[in-house]
Amino acid sequence: MAEHEAQAYKDPGTPEEQSRRTFLANATLAVGGVIGLVLTIPLVGSLIPESLISPDKVAAGKPVPLPKSGWDSVATKPGTPVKIDFSFQYADGYFPPAGDDQSVWGIKMTPEQTASFKEKRPDLYKNPAGEVKYDATEMGFVVFSPICPHLGCRFNWVAEQSKFACPCHGSQFTVIGEKVAGPAPRGLDPLPLRDATGTAQVTWIQYKSGTPDRIIVAYN
Amino acid sequence: MNVVNWVEQRTGFVSLTTDFLTEDVPGGASYWYAFGSATIFAMVLQIVTGIFLTFYYSPSTAAAWESTNYIYHNVPFGQFVISLHFWGATAMIALLLMHMIQVLLWGAYKAPRELSWVVGVLLLVITLVLGLTGYLLPWDMNAYFASQVAINIAASTPGGGIVQQILSDGNGIGTLTINRFFGLHVWLMPAALIALVGAHLAIFRHNGSAGPPIDKDLKKLPQGRFWPNQMFMDAAASFAVFAIMVLLAIFSPAPFDVKADPTKQFIAYPAWYFLALYGLLRIAGQTPAAVQPIANLLATVVIPGGVVGLLILLPFIDRNPSRELSRRPWVLGLTAFALVVAIGLSLYSGLAVQKEQAESSGGGAPAAAAQASNTLGTGSSAGTTANTTGGTQVAAASTHGASVFAANCSSCHGAAGAGQPGVFPNLAGNPDVVAANPAGIEHTLLYGLQGKVIGGKSYAAQMPAWKGNLSDDDIAAVITYIRSSWGNKASAVTAADLAKITK
Repeated sequence: MAEHEAQAYKDPGTPEEQSRRTFLANATLAVGGVIGLVLTIPLVGSLIPESLISPDKVAAGKPVPLPKSGWDSVATKPGTPVKIDFSFQYADGYFPPAGDDQSVWGIKMTPEQTASFKEKRPDLYKNPAGEVKYDATEMGFVVFSPICPHLGCRFNWVAEQSKFACPCHGSQFTVIGEKVAGPAPRGLDPLPLRDATGTAQVTWIQYKSGTPDRIIVAYN
Repeated sequence: MNVVNWVEQRTGFVSLTTDFLTEDVPGGASYWYAFGSATIFAMVLQIVTGIFLTFYYSPSTAAAWESTNYIYHNVPFGQFVISLHFWGATAMIALLLMHMIQVLLWGAYKAPRELSWVVGVLLLVITLVLGLTGYLLPWDMNAYFASQVAINIAASTPGGGIVQQILSDGNGIGTLTINRFFGLHVWLMPAALIALVGAHLAIFRHNGSAGPPIDKDLKKLPQGRFWPNQMFMDAAASFAVFAIMVLLAIFSPAPFDVKADPTKQFIAYPAWYFLALYGLLRIAGQTPAAVQPIANLLATVVIPGGVVGLLILLPFIDRNPSRELSRRPWVLGLTAFALVVAIGLSLYSGLAVQKEQAESSGGGAPAAAAQASNTLGTGSSAGTTANTTGGTQVAAASTHGASVFAANCSSCHGAAGAGQPGVFPNLAGNPDVVAANPAGIEHTLLYGLQGKVIGGKSYAAQMPAWKGNLSDDDIAAVITYIRSSWGNKASAVTAADLAKITK
């Protein structure tokens, strides 16, 4: 911007005028600050999710039934993981609750697998997320989240090698979810399973990826 | 101060700012000059609150009302932010009009400031378009029907059919209309607004302050300082505007109605700044049939277009060099006349719409819904406190039930409860819904249902359990609503009844 002549600024004025101008300048900045503050609190506040303010108030997960067909095919193939598709009601943001499709890996453990489960998956038992009860092992069943604990890809069951393998970064897991290769920081995440009078019910949980500890991020 | 110098040497920002603030104010600083800066303040506030609303708002028929409802009831401070945006529109248009009137009275549009004035008139038009397009976005009853009227008015003008087709993507008002209004409201118009405000300010600075309305050499007047003297007054005026807006947003939140339902009757209330135009249209509608086409053309195109055209051309028509108020009887007289006519038309159409709304509320629920909508903002407990204008408790509960239904049930069962054969049951005349003993339907709402044969038909979808997702008050209100809507005439249900139902 070109220099321009401003007459009013040539004469600095009396000391009273100068002190008055200092006051007006400060008052203007103060008014701006007050408006900014009154706006910042609700505007920034509107973006803060409830889970940050009161994490313990986040509703715990509800067990949802797995379809019998999927469960039956698990029961008939002991020692082999079977992918079970299921759906549960989930309210996504402002949308009314609607069916949300997910899948889990279900395994009917052989007696040997059940016997060695606690020994081979000690990470499940020493974990702070101990509130997740693994009574699944007592039933002889285990259900794994399909999400790789490394960075959240969906892994596959490779029958020829009898391993779970993640296509993204090469993590590999045994049939009972022990990590055997790759960058994953922990074994596969089991989901709480319960037997509700003949119906298998699972609680959908999302765990934090990339950490050795199993930290719950969200329930269904 | 080394940092400041470092930045200054590399950017020149410090001297640019100093240069911008170093400005003479002929005759000294005055609160009279604060209208323009207060308008800019309101604009900035609209942009800031608008940005935060887009973090939640979603433009489509499936989500516009739902996301607005979420902002109202679930987002922390959401109701406050949306109400600030609502009142901000009123503040911005009111301040812009006051600024214009002041410039008219002061004769500040005269040479060499003609283009500053022309840009200002364009800013008025853009601001009105922003108001119009924003009105549709919440997708509630008033939004839908007010915009329907506005689009149909546009369509009735010569060539307006094209405008209508473009705005609605060929069909009626629908999801693409919301998208288009959203694009206009959030991107195109704000971008144009900011560009033109930039031009407006640059022209203002090029010519300097217009000063008081006197025929003297402005340079010979005592000069005041823009910073800090005038800036303080601008800030004080903006603060006053802000304080009023905050109080209004808290104590008179933006109205929000049930979701748009084209099958219902609803008498929309236009935004106050369109009442004068609406008044013209009503007068045209009352003329004899023979002259009505001409009257409509006058009301929709000739007069509004003429006013805008006259405003744009004003500095070129009014060549009278004097700025003294006493020497400009024609322009001042015409300004006063136009103001009186605009206020008269606004009062006329505003009162007429209110009367129509009051008359229609005697017979039907829509107006009661409109009434209750003003208090819906207080949260889901509004069911018992809603109707403030003398309706019965049952009417209030059913209004509340209607909004619970619209938010949670209508996506499957349909706005009219008709459902979908084989998937979602029809609720109208449904024996389970209207059963004399409501225990069955109460259980269904609380704990869900799957695979039940209703009236000889089976349904594929699963009814979710609502206990825990909705309060007992909400569930009771929605049961009462479905038992008394679409021809159903069964008894009301209270939250206390629900407590007796166990799984």
